[in-house]
Amino acid sequence: MPTAIASEHIGHFIELYEKAKALSSPAPKLAALQDKAAAHLEEMRFPTRRDEDWKYTSVRQIVSQNWALGKATTLSPEHIENAAIKDLDDIRFVFVNGQFVPALSTPASQWPQGLTIKSLADALEGEDSEWLSAKLEAHAMHDNPFVVMNTAFGQNGWYMEVQKGAVIEKPVHLMMFSTGEEAFVQFPQLWVHAQTGSEFSVMEHYLPKEGNTPHFTCAVSCLRLEANAHVHHYRLQRESDTAFQINFCEVEQERDSVYSSYATDLGGAIVRNNQNVLLEQSNTETHLNGIYLINGEQHVDNQTFMDHAVPHCNSNELYKGIVTGKARGVFNGKVLVRPDAQKTNAFQQNSTLLLSPDAIMDAKPQLEIFADDVKCSHGATIGQLDESAVFYLRSRGLPLREARTLLQFAFLGEVISNMPHEPVRNFVEKLVHDKLYNH
Amino acid sequence: MLSIKNLHASVEGNEILKGINLEVNPGEVHAIMGPNGSGKSTLANVLAGREEYEVTEGSVIYKGEDLLEMDVDERAHAGVFLAFQYPVEIPGVSMATFLKEAINANRRARGQQELSPVEMLKFIRSKTKLLGMDEQMLKRSLNEGFSGGEKKRNEMLQMALLEPSLAILDETDSGLDIDALKVVADSVNALRSPDRSFIVVTHYQRLLNYIVPDFVHVLFNGRIVKSGGKELALQLEEKGYDWIKEENAVAG
Repeated sequence: MPTAIASEHIGHFIELYEKAKALSSPAPKLAALQDKAAAHLEEMRFPTRRDEDWKYTSVRQIVSQNWALGKATTLSPEHIENAAIKDLDDIRFVFVNGQFVPALSTPASQWPQGLTIKSLADALEGEDSEWLSAKLEAHAMHDNPFVVMNTAFGQNGWYMEVQKGAVIEKPVHLMMFSTGEEAFVQFPQLWVHAQTGSEFSVMEHYLPKEGNTPHFTCAVSCLRLEANAHVHHYRLQRESDTAFQINFCEVEQERDSVYSSYATDLGGAIVRNNQNVLLEQSNTETHLNGIYLINGEQHVDNQTFMDHAVPHCNSNELYKGIVTGKARGVFNGKVLVRPDAQKTNAFQQNSTLLLSPDAIMDAKPQLEIFADDVKCSHGATIGQLDESAVFYLRSRGLPLREARTLLQFAFLGEVISNMPHEPVRNFVEKLVHDKLYNH
Repeated sequence: MLSIKNLHASVEGNEILKGINLEVNPGEVHAIMGPNGSGKSTLANVLAGREEYEVTEGSVIYKGEDLLEMDVDERAHAGVFLAFQYPVEIPGVSMATFLKEAINANRRARGQQELSPVEMLKFIRSKTKLLGMDEQMLKRSLNEGFSGGEKKRNEMLQMALLEPSLAILDETDSGLDIDALKVVADSVNALRSPDRSFIVVTHYQRLLNYIVPDFVHVLFNGRIVKSGGKELALQLEEKGYDWIKEENAVAG
């Protein structure tokens, strides 16, 4: 029976949780929350493809494995330096196998003024974040088992508070390395609280692992933008093709705030991203940008949810991808315009190049509009390269492969060019270029 | 330079070219005229290698080699250039990137060293200036949102930069005002040399006031039915194409 199998899988994670507890004991508030999450998890089951939200993505291959927790280890400083983004002046947080490595990270003494960074446990023990504890309580009882699991296990979470009016020039760069022969699971957690009028950029960067053993990243990020705060949020996922990722990102926006995300998926065997944005107050702007470039048997599923709860908010989604080989892409973009959300502008575009007979793309735009004075549009296109453009380029001397690569690059370039940090843009361009050429 | 013998070509099973014979020597300018649907553009596209056109009979020898056996990009490397009747708009590929890639692809294929970014810019600038083009255009996406005149001017820029041995202009003059037309003519005249040949496909005689051809051929119903000097173009301008049609109807 499928349900029995699913709960058996939950059992593995409960056992793993017991092991983790035996190894370390976090501060009391966090420990209590984690126990609560674990107890909730025990009552849950993992989704199957019969669940509407998971129709196109099966997690069986992920949850049926016996994962170990990531072993604490380190890498050489040269290794980190070689993996750095050229010319990017960043505040680095280095993780190896899910464990934070202070020796390889930017020391606390060099963190900029106006930015408070605390471990999750410390932040929770302090009096300063009602928001954080309320959200964690909600996550412990969430209906998505991966969010619950992340809450139960997440010990290396970071809480970043950008002080009122602070403009943090350097992006915080979370570099997630994995190494070693063991198959392991990690639970990154990122919390950003951008106070009124602050500006902040953060990048989650998942690097490729050497070797073929799989690992599973179950990540949660949660961002709150107070009035007039501006946040750029990058997620660059270029793991090896044996890696699994399930991401859950939740954003809350107060009035006049601007949130922009740039999600790039190049690696991974099975990747599922949930990007939810709740517009709580008026006059906000939201830009969700996404790129997926997949081949072989890769599977990347992007789910977005724009919740327009109040009037006068603007959202703009642009997801573009190229799917070849036997890869499968999924885009499910939901836009909800609630009855009060008059004068909403909500646009969504998803375009995919499907470049081989066995490649699959499922595109599902979903607009639910309950207000009458709004501007909303969505478009989903799935197509091939324009052969007349290929001919034009070849007639000027570009060999077939170069002509096709240039056109594919241009297709994704529209999204890449939206990234505001030039070093990041150059870096992503190079990664995309290299992957296109090595097809 | 170019020797076309008994060339037959079809599109989707319809025979459009029904036995073309044409000899082009180095340094010559040949004008191909004819009414709509006579096969002018088909001839230009077959020479450039467009795949929708199927050659069913005949041969095309270019500089001693079988042109029909060459890939589209190989033809470019060998010095064949087609100025498109409808240049393709390619969003996301900047003019600068495109020109750089095209120039260097040809240089690599010809065993020449690629141009450095500085040399490249200098080279491109020298030609844009000659064509009276705004340099800002280099930042725009290739042909995207270009006016008709800008597109044709851009074709001429590419021709100037790629320095072909055989340039084929496919109705480059159609729809152009007199100023744009003069730019096209000036570009061709500037490139005329004893070892470079042109095939100018046109519906109107007007362009030939500015590009003086050595030979004029009239294409009708897939065949060259009349050849002559530049005075033939004037005759066509004066009398239209009807007398050609009638003559051939009688002959046929």
